[in-house]
Amino acid sequence: MARLKIDNLRKSYGPVEVLKGIDLEIEDGGFLVLVGPSGCGKSTLLNCIAGLEDISGGDILIGERSVTGLHPSKRDIAMVFQSYALYPNMTVEKNISFGMEIRGMPRAAREAAINEVADMLQIRELLKRKPSQLSGGQRQRVAMGRALVRDPQVFLFDEPLSNLDAKLRVDMRTEIKRLHQRMGTTIVYVTHDQIEALTLATKIAVLKDGELLQFGTPDQIYNDPVNMFVADFMGSPSMNLLPATVVEDGGALMVSLAGHEGDMLLPAPESAAMRALLGRQVIFGIRPEAFTDPQGADRTTGQIEKRTCFVDVVEPAGSDTFAVVNLGGKSAVARLRADAQIAPGAVTELAFNMSKAVFFDPASQARVQ
Amino acid sequence: MSAAGQDIALKGSRITRFVIYTVLIVFAIFYLLPLYVMLTNSLKPLEEIRGGGMLSLPKVWTLEPWRAAWSHAQIGVSPTGLKPFFINSIMMVVPAVVLSTFMGAMNGYVLTKWSFRGSGVVFGLLLLACFIPFQIVLIPMARILGLIGLAGTTWGLVLVHTIYGLGFTTLFFRNYYAAFPTELVRAAQIDGASFFQIFWRILAPSSAPIVVVTVIWQFTNVWNDFLFGVSFADFDSIPMTVALNNLVNSSTGVKEYNVHFAGAILAALPTLVVYIVSGRYFVRGLMAGAVKG
Repeated sequence: MARLKIDNLRKSYGPVEVLKGIDLEIEDGGFLVLVGPSGCGKSTLLNCIAGLEDISGGDILIGERSVTGLHPSKRDIAMVFQSYALYPNMTVEKNISFGMEIRGMPRAAREAAINEVADMLQIRELLKRKPSQLSGGQRQRVAMGRALVRDPQVFLFDEPLSNLDAKLRVDMRTEIKRLHQRMGTTIVYVTHDQIEALTLATKIAVLKDGELLQFGTPDQIYNDPVNMFVADFMGSPSMNLLPATVVEDGGALMVSLAGHEGDMLLPAPESAAMRALLGRQVIFGIRPEAFTDPQGADRTTGQIEKRTCFVDVVEPAGSDTFAVVNLGGKSAVARLRADAQIAPGAVTELAFNMSKAVFFDPASQARVQ
Repeated sequence: MSAAGQDIALKGSRITRFVIYTVLIVFAIFYLLPLYVMLTNSLKPLEEIRGGGMLSLPKVWTLEPWRAAWSHAQIGVSPTGLKPFFINSIMMVVPAVVLSTFMGAMNGYVLTKWSFRGSGVVFGLLLLACFIPFQIVLIPMARILGLIGLAGTTWGLVLVHTIYGLGFTTLFFRNYYAAFPTELVRAAQIDGASFFQIFWRILAPSSAPIVVVTVIWQFTNVWNDFLFGVSFADFDSIPMTVALNNLVNSSTGVKEYNVHFAGAILAALPTLVVYIVSGRYFVRGLMAGAVKG
């Protein structure tokens, strides 16, 4: 077990720079999730940590030791691949013991390690089978077993759940979390699924186009996004990002949104940055759960603002009811209680939890605080 | 209505089938005819062939032409039969096939799983070898064989065929391994396996189809080669194809057609056996490489 530090990591393929100076640090026993859209460089970053790709600049430290230039097998890491990468010609048992065999571990010790892992992952009855005779979930378990027998400093997971069906994915997610709690080993986990990122991580790194946009706890990433990309990428349904204008009303800063009957005013936080935008456009961001029916609104905060809105579409989803509302010239999604009485085409009162509202500069897309 | 429609469909398909089978049978007979002529005439005494009737079955069945072709027919200047040349060919084909297959596999492995700057160019140059006509390299090759002291030896022929086969074997293995998941190689790297351990433990066990394709291809080509054999072989390394030519073209004595037929079949036999034994893997392996690669 060890902390992992990535220091100004750069990686280019010829003239194309795919990682543009990444700085990350995850404490011993932490769970770091690298998240971002396809092509953002997250898998490349993981491969750099694993040593499967050479780096073009910067440094990677596992524990206190720089691993730059070290062979993958010398870095004390274990990796679970997206396709599981089980050797097709070997039984499950051989798959798990292959690495130990290469390292010249005696047979008795290998068998003990296999048995321990097989019990932990409940794959004992699969040991004599070939990978082609396993289901997706079983292959996933075997792949994890192969990583576990190494007892490494850092586990690397490359989108391990993306080949599973939806239900199994949720089960395996819980299992990975349980495994992490039991083992306490540092994990680096790549995914494009923001729910996986939020549920598993102790720290999340959001990447886009080879740049680290934000690095923080799930709570920071979700509630304090640094820019519109992070705000939009994390959370499902995603945050409502609505064009508004900063105005002054009786000395207080307000944002003005185009509502169903003229403009709607909502209070904005008093700050120099906000005041600088007076009279200009701003993007008003509010998550669907902070935009709800007055009965369902969070009563612990004193910043509930009620406004009448025009409900365009109603989408009951069992646990919640989603209402699509016309706001600021766009469709905004409000998340209501499941049994909220609401009809499409109606004008109804909805509550804005302004303590959760965030504002962005439309030009730079950066957060305005 | 539907019953009538079905009747028409059935009748139609029966007629189509009849036509298809007739055409297929006619073509099969057409293509088997040379083999029939060779087989029947190799089992006749020479007088029967001279008397005409190439297509008739032998009146007197005899294995003497086969015995003659194998062990005491006049080849060039000495009455050795084809036996020593058959052995020459085997001594040439087996190492050439093994070496070119192994090196092709290594090339394919490196070009797909350890690709380096310029590996595309290297592959392109290797492919070019498939398109160079044999005749162009005859004189430079003769010079090189002379310089390294392999002129006129079986090992010289092995070298020539190995180099010439490399383009094709590399192409086969490269395409096959391109479809082989790279993540497996990476997993093995993390497990600490070395370059050769990854090849022998991970890739090789999954390579049977493409090995069969390559072996058939190389065996057939090397066995059937005439030009390199006639150009670079000395008397004690002459391969089967050249010996067959010498048998048929012997300028002295009578033309023993029955012996020639038997010799020709003997020369074709090994490739035939290789095809029959492993032919069903051939198309399968070719397709695997072609579709996925």
